Amino acid sequence: MDDNNIQILIEEVWRKAQDSAFPGSFQVKMLQCESVVDRNFEEVTSTEIKFKPPLYRQRYQFVKDLVDQHEPKKVADLGCGDTSLLWMLKFHKCLELLVGVDTNEEKLRRKEYKLSPLVGDYLKPRERTLTVTLYHGSAVERDSRLLGFDLITCIELIEHLDSEDLATFPKVVFGFLSPAMVVISTPNSEFNPLFPAVTLRDSDHRFEWNRMQFQTWALDVANLYNYSVEFTGVGEPPAGAENVGYCTQIGIFRKNMAKAAELCVPEQHGEHVYKVVFTATYPSLQQEKYRQYAVVNEVISQVYDMRRDLLERLKLQDDRDFADTSADAGTSEAPCQCFQPVLTRFSANMEKTPKPFCVGNVFYVPLERLFSLPKVKHLCINIEMLKTLIADTVMLNSDGSAVMVDIHDEDNDD
Amino acid sequence: MSGRARVRARGIACRPSTPEIGRTQASPSPASVDVSDKDTPSSSGYMGTSRISQKMVFLGDSDSTQKDKDGVSSGDVGCTFLGRGGRIRREFMDLGACTREKLAHVRDCKTGSSGIPVKLVTNLFNLDLPQDWQLYQYYVTYIPDLESRRLRIALLYSHSELFNKAKVFDGAILFLLEKLEEKVTELSSETQRGETVKIVITLTRELPSSSPVCFQVFSIIFKKILKKLSMYQIGRNYYNPSEPVEIPQYKLTLWPGYSVSVSQFESSLLFSADVCYKVLRSETVLEFMTDLYHKTGLSSFTQACEKELLGLIVLTRYNNKTYRIDDIDWSVRPTHTFQKRDGAEISYVDYYKQQYDITLSDLNQPVLVSLLKSKRNDNTEARIAHLIPELCFLTGLTSQAISDFQLMKALAEVTHLSPLGRQQRLARLADDIQRNKDARFELETWGLHFGCQMSLTGRIVPLEKILMQDQVFCQPMSAADWSKDVRTCKILSAPSLNKWLIICNNRAEHVNESFLNCLRRVGSSMGFNVDYPKMIKVQEDPAAFLRAIQQHVDADVQLVMCILSSNQKSYYDSIKKYMSSDCPVPSQCVLTRTLNKQGMMMSVATKIAMQMTCKLGGELWAVEIPLKSLMVVGIDVCKDALNKEMAVVGFVASINTRITRWYSRCILQRTTTNVADCLKVLMIGALNKWYQYNHGLPARIIVYRDGVGDGQLKTLIEYEVPQLLSSVAESSSNTSSKLSVIVVRKKCVPRFFMEMNRTLQNPPLGTVVDSEATRPDWYDFYLISQVAHQGTVNPTYYNVIYDNNGLKPDHMQRLTFKLCHLYYNWSGLIRIPAPCQYAHKLTFLVAQSIHKEPSLELANSLFYL
Repeated sequence: MDDNNIQILIEEVWRKAQDSAFPGSFQVKMLQCESVVDRNFEEVTSTEIKFKPPLYRQRYQFVKDLVDQHEPKKVADLGCGDTSLLWMLKFHKCLELLVGVDTNEEKLRRKEYKLSPLVGDYLKPRERTLTVTLYHGSAVERDSRLLGFDLITCIELIEHLDSEDLATFPKVVFGFLSPAMVVISTPNSEFNPLFPAVTLRDSDHRFEWNRMQFQTWALDVANLYNYSVEFTGVGEPPAGAENVGYCTQIGIFRKNMAKAAELCVPEQHGEHVYKVVFTATYPSLQQEKYRQYAVVNEVISQVYDMRRDLLERLKLQDDRDFADTSADAGTSEAPCQCFQPVLTRFSANMEKTPKPFCVGNVFYVPLERLFSLPKVKHLCINIEMLKTLIADTVMLNSDGSAVMVDIHDEDNDD
Repeated sequence: MSGRARVRARGIACRPSTPEIGRTQASPSPASVDVSDKDTPSSSGYMGTSRISQKMVFLGDSDSTQKDKDGVSSGDVGCTFLGRGGRIRREFMDLGACTREKLAHVRDCKTGSSGIPVKLVTNLFNLDLPQDWQLYQYYVTYIPDLESRRLRIALLYSHSELFNKAKVFDGAILFLLEKLEEKVTELSSETQRGETVKIVITLTRELPSSSPVCFQVFSIIFKKILKKLSMYQIGRNYYNPSEPVEIPQYKLTLWPGYSVSVSQFESSLLFSADVCYKVLRSETVLEFMTDLYHKTGLSSFTQACEKELLGLIVLTRYNNKTYRIDDIDWSVRPTHTFQKRDGAEISYVDYYKQQYDITLSDLNQPVLVSLLKSKRNDNTEARIAHLIPELCFLTGLTSQAISDFQLMKALAEVTHLSPLGRQQRLARLADDIQRNKDARFELETWGLHFGCQMSLTGRIVPLEKILMQDQVFCQPMSAADWSKDVRTCKILSAPSLNKWLIICNNRAEHVNESFLNCLRRVGSSMGFNVDYPKMIKVQEDPAAFLRAIQQHVDADVQLVMCILSSNQKSYYDSIKKYMSSDCPVPSQCVLTRTLNKQGMMMSVATKIAMQMTCKLGGELWAVEIPLKSLMVVGIDVCKDALNKEMAVVGFVASINTRITRWYSRCILQRTTTNVADCLKVLMIGALNKWYQYNHGLPARIIVYRDGVGDGQLKTLIEYEVPQLLSSVAESSSNTSSKLSVIVVRKKCVPRFFMEMNRTLQNPPLGTVVDSEATRPDWYDFYLISQVAHQGTVNPTYYNVIYDNNGLKPDHMQRLTFKLCHLYYNWSGLIRIPAPCQYAHKLTFLVAQSIHKEPSLELANSLFYL
């Protein structure tokens, strides 16, 4: 049976117990015997050491910050486990391809739908297309679908590899996959004495390195595959024990001469050894269909808003003429609340464009005016494109320069 | 006044089932407005915020249950396998009520024979299983006991004994397709730290495929399959988000989808599918607020905002959760900070940027406040959530949107699929299931085979003649609407209207004159004598109307007509409330707008004249009823609109043999369920009334019960039927009346299409289906008694749960059909028997406008039409 799996579950139990403090001797017992430190465990296991935020979160945040900083398009997480990191990363706008690889298929399957697009992703599509894929496979197997990535993360992965796999690992990740950047994190054994009676933090760990061991290994790898490496970590040691270093040590590897590397064409070797467990493509404005929806939605709702404004102005005029009460036209003072929605409708640019007009019972909005709407402009390169995108759904006048709608809805009486 | 006008006057939409919306208006083309009547109102989710809110809460649920891939909720102890959300479970609970076995006359055969056979295509698909297919139910215990369901599942699944076996496990109950060798299997697992956990798997039941428990397992299987087809689950239905239908002018997005279920029908296990739509709004709360700001201006903005938004359900775009807006905090900005769970202070802007890479565009927006329900029942302070309007999508439709005729029309154009369109969608789903490799694999694992679409034979029963005065029988051209056919005939009976009042405001005078002339003219041609009323002019406000009524109504006044210029609900409510309890006189409210309709005066006047006749106790028409001493009763129950703890029980019973006069009563009872506990009072009251008019008791009583929710069938049988039986028994010392109780359901799973000229059409009026799509344990049938001008017709489902009348199924079906002709607010067939519709109309008036029991003095007339 998979210890790792159970490990997570036990943590889950514990977290729940923490949350709700429900009684149950079992949880308490588990707690006492599980004095290991891993993932979300730290904050509760030891009375002396509590990381805030929890160490696993600090590791994820570290990767998030890195993604923020470098804006990679293609990111893979080897040993992604329950896909929590991927879930956090999927919100980044820069991403186009997000891949998770793990040897535990069951665990991947359990959370796969968490990575599916949400209702909101369909209602307000992303700017760039994002594909999320989960593979069942190992970090020591070569799969050409992982070639050409901007960032590959191996968070708390290498310490689970036996010596044979550990030897293969750099060949695959650095030699074969050869991404622009690799992030590797692993426990720092120098920190362990701060935990009560711990040898290894997880029974599945084959080793835990001190800083020297890790850095030696990392520098060797970097030299061999023409990378440069920089060391850092998360989980600050407590006051007085600063000399032990971070609880988790991290190496950031950057490929030298990245330019030359980009020439290498991905998919050159057609090896597909990983099994696809899950894949989802997020809707985006890059996709013609969604771009069209977005443009049509914006255009039509704006046209109807303009029409409504016009009708209201006319009606107001009518009422005034009728009641002859122009005296009370001034607006009253604002109430104490001072929220005022940002006025997007009447931008200066827009004022310069031809105004909507009425001929008979038809209301016309010139495309030029619609094109001056910031949202529309963002989505369409030129007026021609705007025209093409909306032509199927709205009525255009004969020379195709304006959108036409009836000024009144068809008789809304029975 | 037209039905819809009145619906508007109340400011809320009718229940989806009411024919008023499209039917009762004085319109030459009822088709054009038939919006919420037919066609998937249940699933399209636009019928009201309350329902939407339930749905959306479900959505939240579904998100959380996605964590466990089986989607089975914990059935910690006991043997019942609990379904998520309870709804499916309740539906299946109904199946446990085997009423047919107690009804001797239909035990062998419950099908009728009259009428012309018609071949119908259904939305049901055969699901073939091997003959000896069985499911094995095991109970799994852990020693020591484990609290965590996920840990339980993980431990069990890791055992090779269960590897690659078709299984469903919820943490306590395990279903296997293959039987384990031993009745009790003991497995042992070791946790990492050497703790040994013993797992004991004990066989508890062997289930045949017809067991309701299996249906839940099938639901789980199909849930997996539909997800494999890239469908998105919201609530109980599955939607295809990649093919949305956009209605940009209303900022709506519709997701096409399916509602599916598997259960045992008459002779086989069937998979049913229906097309449905999810209405989503592509508008954020911030956009809505901005829009509102432009409409209202600054002065009343905050007020308008709160009025429109409080109580709505919003969907957050980043995590798919739903929240109810309980308040708006105008003093908090996105730049303000809050405390994260770990204690760190962070501003909202930074939080969303960090967490979700979202940049807020408007830093001045207020925050929405939502009270979070505590999952634990302890006394901890209610937690609140602050939500950023820009990141919240509105869900559902506001009441304003529902009353927007154009919007509902735009919705209907999309959601009302023709029979052919519907069939094409169904065929596509079937095709997708059969072609998809993963889906096929899943089915094969369970030994299932997805078969072909089922056809069956229904019968078209003969149409009825409409009986008018002087034994004039009229065979209408169309049973859907015979208003033209009877125009030249006189109605059965009408008291003459001698003393009555019209109360109106000063402006409406000129309209009233021509209307009154028209009313008198149509009145006299139908045999309803209308004298000149006393005209009272008042100021335009509800208090003035009430004062005028108080001043001028005396014992002789037969009817009060109020001509209202505004369709504000408060006007209508206050008048109706006063006139039906404080001062019980029939009242008729008419909108000036209705009277102003060009060229419609005659039909408007005819309609109003008919309603007035009924309110005075007149009878319009009849159909031939062969049973000579028959009382029919309609019961409907709904919740009070203001006080949800009050249930409104409407009870309408016929009091003459021709079934043209009615005794209508309504009782408010404090209850949380829609089960009536006042039926004895009502039934005895009706029997006394019958006795008074007929000098004896009816030989037979047939009760149609509407407003029954899923899972209430057993309660009905155990609780309501005995009340009816005992009141019947107590009313007579010797032979008591025979009783039948029929549950009427406007929503049901099957749909029927008729093949004709190589295309599909709705089956004609009077189509009865009483085989194959029915349930083996029930005495049930489907009847189509309404016309769908747009979309696919919804059959009405009848389930006879008690019957000692012993009528042949044929007669029961035809009698039910006859009763669908007798609703005096619409000269045509309606989808449910008239007494049910009357009871519905009465409960609706009480629940929406009056909120108290109407005076008994009005019980002899249809004062609520």
